[in-house]
Amino acid sequence: MIRFEQVGKRYPNGHVGLHELSFRVRRGEFLFVTGHSGAGKSTLLRLLLAMERPTTGKLLLAGQDLGQISTAQIPFLRRQIGVVFQNHQLLFDRTVFNNVALPLQILGLSKAEVTKRVDSALERVALSDKAELYPGDLSTGQQQRVGIARAIVHRPALLLADEPTGNLDPRLAAEIMGVFEDINRLGTSVLIASHDLALIARMRHRMLTLQRGRLIGDGEAGV
Amino acid sequence: MSATRSPKVSERVAPKASEPGPPKKKKHDDDDGPGFSQLFNAWLEAHRSSMADSLRRLGKQPIGSFFTCLVMAVALSLPMGLSLLLSNVERLGGSWQRAAQISLYLQLDASSSEGQGLVAQIKEMPGVAEAEYISRDQALNEFQQQSGLGEALKELPENPLPGVVLVTPQEVDKAALEALRTRLAELPKVQQAQLDLVWVERLAAILKLGDRFVFGLTVLLVVALLLVIGNTIRLHIENRRTEIEVIKLVGGTDSYVRRPFLYMGALYGFGAGILSWGVLAFGLDWLNEAVVRLAGLYGSNFSLAGVPVADGLSLLLGAVLLGYIGAWIAVARHLRELAPR
Repeated sequence: MIRFEQVGKRYPNGHVGLHELSFRVRRGEFLFVTGHSGAGKSTLLRLLLAMERPTTGKLLLAGQDLGQISTAQIPFLRRQIGVVFQNHQLLFDRTVFNNVALPLQILGLSKAEVTKRVDSALERVALSDKAELYPGDLSTGQQQRVGIARAIVHRPALLLADEPTGNLDPRLAAEIMGVFEDINRLGTSVLIASHDLALIARMRHRMLTLQRGRLIGDGEAGV
Repeated sequence: MSATRSPKVSERVAPKASEPGPPKKKKHDDDDGPGFSQLFNAWLEAHRSSMADSLRRLGKQPIGSFFTCLVMAVALSLPMGLSLLLSNVERLGGSWQRAAQISLYLQLDASSSEGQGLVAQIKEMPGVAEAEYISRDQALNEFQQQSGLGEALKELPENPLPGVVLVTPQEVDKAALEALRTRLAELPKVQQAQLDLVWVERLAAILKLGDRFVFGLTVLLVVALLLVIGNTIRLHIENRRTEIEVIKLVGGTDSYVRRPFLYMGALYGFGAGILSWGVLAFGLDWLNEAVVRLAGLYGSNFSLAGVPVADGLSLLLGAVLLGYIGAWIAVARHLRELAPR
């Protein structure tokens, strides 16, 4: 699904975000990327979303070389990916339903299909009864679940999450992680960037550890 | 968490796998792709939704939207209004053909029947639209009436005025008119052929100047209009930056991002076009009252023509297009800056 081959990212100011990173992620795998602030977790996600391009090495996502991908192809690549942000990135002037429907409207699906899939995604995150509310009417945890519903509604092959439990209390964080595991069980590869080691250790999935842009660990969390 | 929080998520979704190991992909129950008609309907729906959204956003700021449309309407009304006034002046000045009439003064011994015959001959000539014979008696009568020398003229032993043939050419071209005048002067019984080209040239120069002025003004105001719409759309883009970034992150193409702004530009143009049409119709109607009174004093029944429907529709279409193009330019300029951060 994902292949990093000696991938490096150096910014114009000389800062090195990633240093010769090599690893693979299988289709349907659940993976954590951890490390301190500035370790390169966000850079890694930004490379996968084609928000930035690697400066060295080769990065393949579902067979596509993200170093060579054209600007016009980027939206179509992103349609294969679901993204969950720490700050949710919800649109506060749209209802929960319309926030979740956004990726489907972009795909050009019919109204009936959009309704069907949004209902299904909201049900998956237990927010069916909040569809007509606005994000501002919801708690932080519920907003995060709306973000997850939006990330999975178009059935992406890969789900990326950047510190998805950063603002949540431990009980809510565990609940959100449960949602990710459920989604993973449906075949979606899940890659979560997080520094919550306690939470990661409880889940016993593969964990990559980054330090100053270098991969210093690759193994099962909690082992 | 709110008091209405739903039951625990993991209790509501599919049961957890009972055994560890690599996950097996499950097939979704509705994985069939959409058909052509579904895609077409979805495309229509996307456009309808973009337009409705743009209308809703304009409606949320009625005063701001109205003033933007008004500024655009003023910019549209100035050249259009001047152009309509020019066409009315042309109407007032009479046709070009009349202004360029050639007068043929016949020899004094030319009889009425010879004059009529000449008219028939001239009508057959290429480049002639109309020919009219004024006999010596008619000419004397008209002169007596217009000059106020009726009694004095009666004392003359014989009518000193020649018969005249007034020739109206088909086209107003200096060289063609001069060639026609030369041919007419060579006809039998013609003493002199006179063409007042100076008047024609002056009128043509004035109208050409007017046309150029209107064209220059149109170009300037179109540029101003594009700037107004571009700036307005830029502000809308700034207000929706987060939304655009999210749309791009979830796979929205540039054309998807652009679409609502293009509708917004077109809607601004539509509003401006309607306002401009209304302003011009009202303005011409308001002026017409004074024009009719003035024309009446000169014994004319001239009145200003309003905004022809075809011109009004062209104005509306032009305004919509300008709004659309202005929005396109603004979005194209800012789209590159809208990469998700």
